[in-house]
Amino acid sequence: MTEFYRQYLAVAVFVVAAFGMVGAMLGLARLLRPTNPQDEKYVTYESGADPLPLFGQANVRYYIYALLFVIFDVEAVFIFPWAIDVDGLEWFGLIEMTIFIGVLLLGLAYVWRKGLLKWA
Amino acid sequence: MNPVFDWHALAPDVVLAATVLLTLVATFLLPDRDATQVSRIAAIGVLAALVPVVTLANDGADRAMFDGAYVVDNYALALKAFFLVAAYVTILLSVDYIQEGDYYRGEFYFLLLTSVLGMSVMASARDLITMFVALETISIPTFVLAAYRKHDRVSNEAGVKYYVIGVLSSALMLYGMSLIFGYAGSTRLAEIGAQVSAAGAPPLLAVAVFLSLVGFAFKVSAVPFHFWAPDTYEGAPTPVTAFLSVSSKAGGFVALLNIVFFGFYGVDGAGTELWWPVIWVLAALSMTLGNLAALRQTNVVRMLAYSSVAQGGFMLVPFAAAGIAGAAGDLGQADTAFGAVVIYLLVYGAMNLGAFAVVIAAARRTRSAEISSFAGLFQTSPTLAVLMTVFMASLAGIPPLAGWFAKFVMFQSAVEAGGAWGITLAVVAGVNSVIAFFYYAGVMRQMWFKEPAGEDRSEIEVPYALTGALAITAAVTLVVGVYPQLFARVGELAF
Repeated sequence: MTEFYRQYLAVAVFVVAAFGMVGAMLGLARLLRPTNPQDEKYVTYESGADPLPLFGQANVRYYIYALLFVIFDVEAVFIFPWAIDVDGLEWFGLIEMTIFIGVLLLGLAYVWRKGLLKWA
Repeated sequence: MNPVFDWHALAPDVVLAATVLLTLVATFLLPDRDATQVSRIAAIGVLAALVPVVTLANDGADRAMFDGAYVVDNYALALKAFFLVAAYVTILLSVDYIQEGDYYRGEFYFLLLTSVLGMSVMASARDLITMFVALETISIPTFVLAAYRKHDRVSNEAGVKYYVIGVLSSALMLYGMSLIFGYAGSTRLAEIGAQVSAAGAPPLLAVAVFLSLVGFAFKVSAVPFHFWAPDTYEGAPTPVTAFLSVSSKAGGFVALLNIVFFGFYGVDGAGTELWWPVIWVLAALSMTLGNLAALRQTNVVRMLAYSSVAQGGFMLVPFAAAGIAGAAGDLGQADTAFGAVVIYLLVYGAMNLGAFAVVIAAARRTRSAEISSFAGLFQTSPTLAVLMTVFMASLAGIPPLAGWFAKFVMFQSAVEAGGAWGITLAVVAGVNSVIAFFYYAGVMRQMWFKEPAGEDRSEIEVPYALTGALAITAAVTLVVGVYPQLFARVGELAF
């Protein structure tokens, strides 16, 4: 057996352990608890709020904000590793990161000019 | 440590990327109703990116960067040049169509060029991650472009179908790539190739290769992964359809060539038996089903969609032949066959873009994409009819047009690869060339032998940009047909 397959064996062990664990907990609970079913108990728990109706309408404008958020959130993911080695990368790194952020800001400028940041 | 940059080698992509940003800025600074300025910027940028491609080709040295993840060699340069010229022709096709439509105008060029940038990077990508990023850069803008007629339900359907299929194929491909990484311990295609030759091919690699090939088969719309293509091609704006069926498809083919030739092929053709049977089946099915479906179409765009599925099958023939030759140990013949794929790709690009240019020109008056709308075109617009005849005849493979040469190298590679499988594939391709002739000839029959349908018998006015596109594609189709050494040399240099 090669090293590669041995690594997959570890994954298989984990899968079996995961299913076994959840199965044991739920099975044990089923054996020990009293059962007294009511309709309300079978409603999905959703932070105390009524889970229905399922497809409430959200304003489509949130979409553009969600998109912008994701873009700049991912930008942060790229900035962190760069910031750790900012000394080692010297001027090259600074210029590179400026270009990267500049490209993303162009997208923001486009959205702004097209008036999509106004809520009205 | 900072990576080493070879700015000359990067110049085509840098110029293209700068143009992409410039079109975006121009889009929001210039007035929205007028995109002619933006289209000019885009066109000039594409031509400017061709300049370093020419100087690099003149220089001739292979340049590798980023640990060999990004390589500029003759193969990459030939394909970069192809993508840039095809992009220029697509811009010429789009200018009047976009200006007369009720769409966002400037953004069209931004999205188009972003996709072209992905293709240009793909030509140089020699690493699984670089390839994936390039492929997504190609695909994501085209999802939006397919749905560009946003008040039209058919166009929306086209976009959604293309998007869902695109995501599915990416997922399959990524899964395959992750298994390949598990096998080779590297994402560099060169190291994967070395591993294939050194360690042989366990069943795991066969699964990985199969999954990634299926992912790419979706991108190049090979049967049985083609079902999205006719609906998407019909619903998308016609210039976008031209772009999808030529540039985007070529992008998929280049990705396939990269991963197979630089990766699964191994250093010495050791891995060929993994992939050539898959490609063989895809080629045979694409040719046969594509052609049979194209026979029954009444809409010219749908017909061209199925014809492009079939042409994709023809392109896969030398691909499979390269695998057969490689498995038999004839590496020189395998290289020739890989070259034949590139030659077919270049020729197909010219003649298919030309055919779409005529369809766009004719639709300016008829407002229809039915094959019957071409009735009597020779009486009303003889020049357009002659050009359409040239492109249809070239697609059918009639000498002395470029399509003949592409078909010739395709057959040659399959026959010389030899063996029962090579000969069978050549026979299947031969039968299909005959079938294909019927539907291409159907369009010719409408143009030459039918009476024009409408009252309006004046000549169709063709705008300057569209005339330019027709001139370029017709010139390539005719010149390469008469002087095929031009592209034959490209195929030789590339591999």
